[in-house]
Amino acid sequence: MTLLITHARIVSENSPTLTEGDVLISDGKIQQIGIGLTAPQGARVLDAKGKILMPGMFDAHVHFREPGFEAKETIATGTEAAINGGITGVVMMPNTSPAIDSATVVANVLDIAKRTARIPVYTSGCVTLGRHGKELAGIDGMRSLGVKMLTDDGDTTADPAVLLRAMQYATEFGMFFASHCEVPELAGPRALNDGTMSYRLGIKGSPACAEEIIIDRDIRLAHAAGAHIHIQHVSSKLGMETIRWWKQRGDVKVTAEVSPHHLLFCDEDIGDFDTNYKMNPPLRTRVDNEGLLQGLIDGVFDLIATDHAPHTPFEKSQDFISAPNGITGMDTALVSLYHFFVATGKFGWDLVVKRYSAEPRRIMGLPAVSIEVGQVADLILFDTETETTFTKEFMKSKSQNTPFINQTLKGSVTLVVLGNEILLER
Amino acid sequence: MARKDLLDIAALDREEIDHLLDQSIPFKELFTRSVKKVPALKGKSVLMLFYEASTRTHSSFEVAAKRLSADVTNFDVAHSSITKGESVRETVETLQAMRTDYIIVRHGRSGLPGMIAKHTKASVINAGDGAHAHPTQALLDAFTIKEKFPDPTGKKVLIIGDILHSRVARSTSTILKKLGVQVAYLGPGSLVPKNGPENIRRFTDYQEAMAWSPDFVYLLRVQMERQDVQYFPSVREYHRLYGITDARLADIRDRGLYLMHPGPVNRGVELCDAVMDYERSLINDQVENGIAVRMAVLYWLKPHSVG
Repeated sequence: MTLLITHARIVSENSPTLTEGDVLISDGKIQQIGIGLTAPQGARVLDAKGKILMPGMFDAHVHFREPGFEAKETIATGTEAAINGGITGVVMMPNTSPAIDSATVVANVLDIAKRTARIPVYTSGCVTLGRHGKELAGIDGMRSLGVKMLTDDGDTTADPAVLLRAMQYATEFGMFFASHCEVPELAGPRALNDGTMSYRLGIKGSPACAEEIIIDRDIRLAHAAGAHIHIQHVSSKLGMETIRWWKQRGDVKVTAEVSPHHLLFCDEDIGDFDTNYKMNPPLRTRVDNEGLLQGLIDGVFDLIATDHAPHTPFEKSQDFISAPNGITGMDTALVSLYHFFVATGKFGWDLVVKRYSAEPRRIMGLPAVSIEVGQVADLILFDTETETTFTKEFMKSKSQNTPFINQTLKGSVTLVVLGNEILLER
Repeated sequence: MARKDLLDIAALDREEIDHLLDQSIPFKELFTRSVKKVPALKGKSVLMLFYEASTRTHSSFEVAAKRLSADVTNFDVAHSSITKGESVRETVETLQAMRTDYIIVRHGRSGLPGMIAKHTKASVINAGDGAHAHPTQALLDAFTIKEKFPDPTGKKVLIIGDILHSRVARSTSTILKKLGVQVAYLGPGSLVPKNGPENIRRFTDYQEAMAWSPDFVYLLRVQMERQDVQYFPSVREYHRLYGITDARLADIRDRGLYLMHPGPVNRGVELCDAVMDYERSLINDQVENGIAVRMAVLYWLKPHSVG
């Protein structure tokens, strides 16, 4: 395939300024970048005037539910949702059934991905067997199949002694830890912020301190063990400030992620028990939204990740307490980031590329992709002039449990290229 | 405007509340007649779906429905598939197929009646969901207060007890605020949350609360069965700090305050025995009024199942 994309506005993670130019792709690589490039014979020319050209996104926090919960999502449907949203690489979370806690399950997951996914799929592995928080998982076996990230995501590894030993053990293999943070005794079973909304709805809330305590605890454990700790889906301003404080000290390797929904929504949005606003950690307050956004702009957050968590319509149509935690994010993330932040001038495309493409790849030990000559063609086109309506038909995820269902936002992903293939064009 | 469901008093506007309270008056007048039944809902079916133990509310609704000539069925929760692991969501599909006109539901999970309402054409009446809402209790409390003060604007109601877990506190204070009544809460700091409504005074000291000069003292049941975690050191300590003791009852009598309680009472916890004989206790009025307002609610709602 030879493809000449002309008049695109090219994004680099290192500069807020977009560069207009043509990009020639052949043999799965970027061959030339310039102005007024001539198309080689047989090349397809795609006029991208006004459109944004950037590397494919990389989501380091997704739940693809396979094996075990294929009614919610499969690796095939999850990766198609990713492509639909301009994402060309993902890291799966290990809370499948069986949990991804051994070389056997990792091999199975990677085999399914190889057969059914059109983009690279990486998987994290459990810290403890079955995510039960007791015995250590098959760490070296998973490492030998390429697992870098260890996490009991969905739950905190409740016993700090277990986590500390796991850190001391696995850090030697170059692995790092990702933490879902909550004190179970404080958080209770309900994913709802403790505040005016939990009072109004009459549901026991989970206070932000339940999350903040474990953020601090796990960073301290990493500090003691010399491990790299990655804090997942931070939902509170004080949690962000805890991470900022540790980063400023500079004596522990700590990275952190924030999700689009924690930047955008707060507990008031739950309204009349809308389960599409139920996730864990829960949505907190407007003050937290603003704090998290500032944390992203300041670089306290290394990456944006969706925590894509599909559930069936039946599951989510239960009452708020019974409905499972989580919302989908792959189909909607990039468009929502554009609509609410880039289009409103809160941050630029360079931040999107740095935090949602380059840094998540680096944290996984992968080279960041960029729009440069000689690079693998791993890129997307984004049209700021058209809109996307997130209908059931638009979504490629098996589930549609998202607050954006049937909403129309500015911007759309119009092209996804990976290597020698066009994965999406519209 | 006719509604399909009554899920939460917060959803009703002042006009609707006044309408329901006014409509309750002729229904209450029926109770003194020898024949207490009217044919208003003849041929209609009412299904009682009570997942939480309840004697008062359950029989109050049952009596109300029968006095309107409706056919009442009790959905036997204890012996149903629910105990075999069927989700409520699945039960709702079954109920919809039964084409009942009204479903009266009580459940320990907040928001559950609203979920049922979304998936059925029947009118759903929330008879109490978790700590969320209990709209007919709110109506009967407002009705009882209006019997004493037809214009209750500016009157003061002090609600004492476990505010945190109380759907009665939430719904009754919501309706009272809508009627222009002032509301305050009194109870232990662990049970009177600081994140409650801003327009409600919060007391943790009995003397300070009485200095606020309430017209009504509304005692909540201390829900011993829900105290899976300890919110106060002991029942004895609770009674000493917040209970209506003999001495406090004497003071309440001197001030001429009315006493209310949603029942059932815990003697020796939130009140002493003598309270039950207090001449300004409205506890039995509340029970009687409960039937009248529930008749008014059933009569007012319009199921979508009407052919």
